[in-house]
Amino acid sequence: MLHTKPKLKSGTEAQLPRLRFGLVTILLGGLFLASNACAESPRIPPAATRQVDFHREVLPLLARHCARCHSSGKHEGELAIDSRQKLLAGGGSGPAVVVGHSDKSLLIELVSGGDPDRIMPSEGRRLTAEEIGILRAWIDQGVVWENGLALSAYPTARWEPRSVELPPAAAAAPVTDNPLDRLLPPYLAKQGVKVDGVVSNRVYARRVYEDLVGLPPRAADIEALEKDTRPDKRTLLVRRLLDNGQQNARQQYAIHWLTFWNDALRNDNRGPGYIDGGRKQISVWLRQSLEQNKPYDQFVRELIAPSPASEGFVKGIVWRGVVNASQKPEMQAAQNVSQVFLGINLKCASCHDSFVSEWKLDDAYGLAGVFANAPPEVHRCDSPVNRVIEPRFLYSKLGKVDPKAPLAERRKQLAAALTSKEDGRLARTIVNRLWARLLGRGLIEPVDAMDNPPWNADILDYLATDLVEHGYDLKHTLELIATSRAYQLPSVGAPSATEKDYVFRGPLVKRLAAEQFIDAVSAAILWKTDPPNATAGQSGASAGSPNGASSNSVETSPDFSKVGPRAALADADNLARALGRPSREQVVTSREPAATTLQVLELTNGTTLDNLLKRGAEQLVPKPAAVTDQTAVNQLIEQIYLRTLARRPLPNEIEIARGLTGTPATREGVQDLVWSLIMLPEFQLVQ
Amino acid sequence: MFNHNPATRRDFLKTASAATLAALAGSAPRLAAAAAKIDQAPAAKADTLIVLWMGGGMAHTETFDPKRYVEFKKGMKAHDVLSTFPSIPTVVDQIKFSQGLENVAKVMDRGLLIRTQQGANLGKILHSRHQFHWHTGYEPPVTVAAPHLGAWIARVRGPNNPAIPAFIDVNQPYEGNGEAEELKAFQTAGFLGSEFGPFRVPRPDQAVATVRPPAGMSVERFRRRQEAYQKLVLASPAVQQASDFQRESLLRSIDNTNRLLNSPAAKAFDLSLEPKEVYDRYNTGHFGRGCLLARRLTEAGARYIEVSTEYVPFLGWDTHDNGHTRAADMKRQIDAPIAQLVLDLEQRGLLNRTLIVLASEFSRDVLMEGKPEAKVEDQVSQPAVINELKYFGMHRHFTSAGCVLMFGGGAQRGLLYGRTAEERPCTAIENPVSITDLHATIYQLMGISPRYHLEIEQRPFYVTKDGKGQPIKALMA
Repeated sequence: MLHTKPKLKSGTEAQLPRLRFGLVTILLGGLFLASNACAESPRIPPAATRQVDFHREVLPLLARHCARCHSSGKHEGELAIDSRQKLLAGGGSGPAVVVGHSDKSLLIELVSGGDPDRIMPSEGRRLTAEEIGILRAWIDQGVVWENGLALSAYPTARWEPRSVELPPAAAAAPVTDNPLDRLLPPYLAKQGVKVDGVVSNRVYARRVYEDLVGLPPRAADIEALEKDTRPDKRTLLVRRLLDNGQQNARQQYAIHWLTFWNDALRNDNRGPGYIDGGRKQISVWLRQSLEQNKPYDQFVRELIAPSPASEGFVKGIVWRGVVNASQKPEMQAAQNVSQVFLGINLKCASCHDSFVSEWKLDDAYGLAGVFANAPPEVHRCDSPVNRVIEPRFLYSKLGKVDPKAPLAERRKQLAAALTSKEDGRLARTIVNRLWARLLGRGLIEPVDAMDNPPWNADILDYLATDLVEHGYDLKHTLELIATSRAYQLPSVGAPSATEKDYVFRGPLVKRLAAEQFIDAVSAAILWKTDPPNATAGQSGASAGSPNGASSNSVETSPDFSKVGPRAALADADNLARALGRPSREQVVTSREPAATTLQVLELTNGTTLDNLLKRGAEQLVPKPAAVTDQTAVNQLIEQIYLRTLARRPLPNEIEIARGLTGTPATREGVQDLVWSLIMLPEFQLVQ
Repeated sequence: MFNHNPATRRDFLKTASAATLAALAGSAPRLAAAAAKIDQAPAAKADTLIVLWMGGGMAHTETFDPKRYVEFKKGMKAHDVLSTFPSIPTVVDQIKFSQGLENVAKVMDRGLLIRTQQGANLGKILHSRHQFHWHTGYEPPVTVAAPHLGAWIARVRGPNNPAIPAFIDVNQPYEGNGEAEELKAFQTAGFLGSEFGPFRVPRPDQAVATVRPPAGMSVERFRRRQEAYQKLVLASPAVQQASDFQRESLLRSIDNTNRLLNSPAAKAFDLSLEPKEVYDRYNTGHFGRGCLLARRLTEAGARYIEVSTEYVPFLGWDTHDNGHTRAADMKRQIDAPIAQLVLDLEQRGLLNRTLIVLASEFSRDVLMEGKPEAKVEDQVSQPAVINELKYFGMHRHFTSAGCVLMFGGGAQRGLLYGRTAEERPCTAIENPVSITDLHATIYQLMGISPRYHLEIEQRPFYVTKDGKGQPIKALMA
């Protein structure tokens, strides 16, 4: 599966989960092997006296402390413990465990430190007496192991940035300035992937318009790009779309990316929590920051060490009444900061030491403490454990938080550590998100699990380092991606069956998000177009000059002057909600990728879209029964195609469309034609 | 791909494959294989679940757990107020109801009564938080978007009849509701994805509009639009391009929508097709007509239907004032339709496989806010001495005991479970029932293990809180 890299891979079934609580234990005891382990000595901590849980208690210990050197192809001391069989078979010094006899098991001897030259683990901290007690009980209770389950270490990614040396351009490759075009070919060659040429100008224009500003290109824009003869015309178009010097462009960019950031920072005009003042918007700050293209490090600092305008994110949602310890506002801040900015999931660890990653309860409480006036008492599974952890960052090498400092100061220290140039993770996480937005899938998936390995580390690390070198300018990274050959490849339909098998072959087909869909419909039928008086049945669209395209030169494209009120700024209505705009009560970093029946039902008979289409039909047919003759009806149909799909209809499409509009054209008929066009995959999907 | 034959019944289930495809693209939850192996599905005793939701906090002592009757007298002490109605007998010897529930009293032998549902300690009461807890099994806030009971059932058991949405939510409009955002927070499929979300019918009277062409569009015009659309899909040059899962899921969803709208089963949404004398028996208001809709949908093969009395702050069961008078009105609204629903399903031979659950987020007391061991801040002023009728009633939120009714679908019959104190505060003193265990019982009867779970964000998420729900054996036939 694409979304998670299993830590504990099953030997028999790809979908075996990593976690199973309260399993019916499979007791495989009674297998006695010769032992050369030493007899029990007083140095060895006693075995736990209760029944231990393999998944919850034993596996995390093995994964954290043993797996790195003794699994997944590594076998230090000729010992591998991927499976129960391998563990029992042992290594160079004989069997690692003796079932039922922890006192005779070499594993216990070594982790207890009996032999100073052979203390295990050889790296990292020693096991505690309690932990050894758990392992002993596990051995005594029969070495329970889930059938088919293969142990492996939790994935951990490095924090440091890494500079990537660009390989020389391949002789056969087209010459471009884009460094990504030099990084991808070696990967494709290694994978044996042959790619086609780049997509057409039409497809490219739709991609960059929707991906960068969330609006469809007009027919005139596509034509302008097609007519442009400059070799770098695509790069020039991307630059115009991302131009911070143009007020219209930067505003449309900001509104489009508001959707992304509102989801991630769970900001909305309305939602749970506002009712009793437990939540605060950051909308004004966010929109301004995007319009200014605020450097990303500054953007993050202002969210973590906030002003009143940006404090809503770390303030969280304060519910009236009692909440679970793992949902206190400071813990929400810890979870959300680590998820959004670092791709780290602290949700498990905010209740107990994680069973699926290296993160511990104390890590979560250390980070939460940064956001609290006084360090919160550590709770395990909502019960206090009489321990307080000093405020600290997840990764101390990047910077320290002074536990004695006042709250505002601690947040500043955290913000500084997290946005330090040595924090490669911050940059990797955001460039991976941008890549995923534009290509439909991240270099690492899920995009919130940045400890997983990327399918290409060079591209990821290059983009991350490059972002930092360019002053954390996100528009720079967007330009780099949007002008890369990878982005311009033909889209790929179906994702691979499993994460392990994923090979990059091109961008995925993307579905318009709720806001994009609503804006695209509005652009087609409500917002004014050029020329403003080119309404149906009057001048129509003259042949060869769709929608007055001839008046549009490259310099006036894109033209956002006619853009009306955009959906991202509106409250979520039934339509937006049905199409996947989330409630933003939790951090959302990816929307549902596929259409569902309930969504289509809303599009088919929901009143919101129906009313929108009615208004549109009134504008397209200002006077009922005005479009009387066949030629005029054909022109009207052509105009609707141009405005909706940015292309002319084929002859057989005109035929079918006339069956809907009628001759003379009726408003109802025109409304039904528009509905039919906006329901087409061609309209709803970005190829 | 397209099928014009409305008699062809397919297939909300088909969309499961769309969801499966969607899962490949990234964020969707997935079934932990262990769930299938270890949490063996129990044999289902019911195929349909109807939740009758008493939104706003239904006072147990004014409904299904009557105590000593205390009449209104000017100058009476508030703490002397107990039940403000006399009690009435039911067909089950040991069960008495409060006056005004005579019809339900006559069918009590078809079901069971729990008197000791206990709410969570969520501190200062916000109805929608307790409703969130009741409907998802998790106390808000939750770190991932918790699915609604109906969404879980839709996800695990799928549609009962492929032409009827699996999760239908009746009579809880959002417009103008001060807690609409909080209601939306749990009336959702959460991380299961919108395919399993509620098919919303804000008002039963307008139910038919949800499965009809848009207002003002004739069936003929609608049909013409669909046909032209299908031709345009084939004519579109994009059709030549390689197929992809996005396109497949869109076209499949359109296909499914057409089936729903053209299916004979869609008639189940049309209350006007009901004979007048039957309609009149249910016609006590929106809730009553919602019960009629629930019956029709059950006959047509719905999987999960929830009918709410409609939660609006300070209205309905949320009796912050005039508790006595308003409780009388609420009982008038619910009594006849609930009894009729039970009888109609029984008469049609459907009650055996349909589980009806009536519940509320908590109960009420005249004075106590919260529960004896966890009192919370008072939210309504209630004079110690009552001189006006408007102060006579159950005006504060009480979470220590509340009533749940269950009929049919594998539930015991004629059973009384749990006992509450005879004097205020009328707290649970025998067999308290947590919402977690109540859910476990419901899931068990619906053929779903209380430990059923999916993996989301790399961790298991269970239908009952942390997989800890224990079905209550005594409640199951």
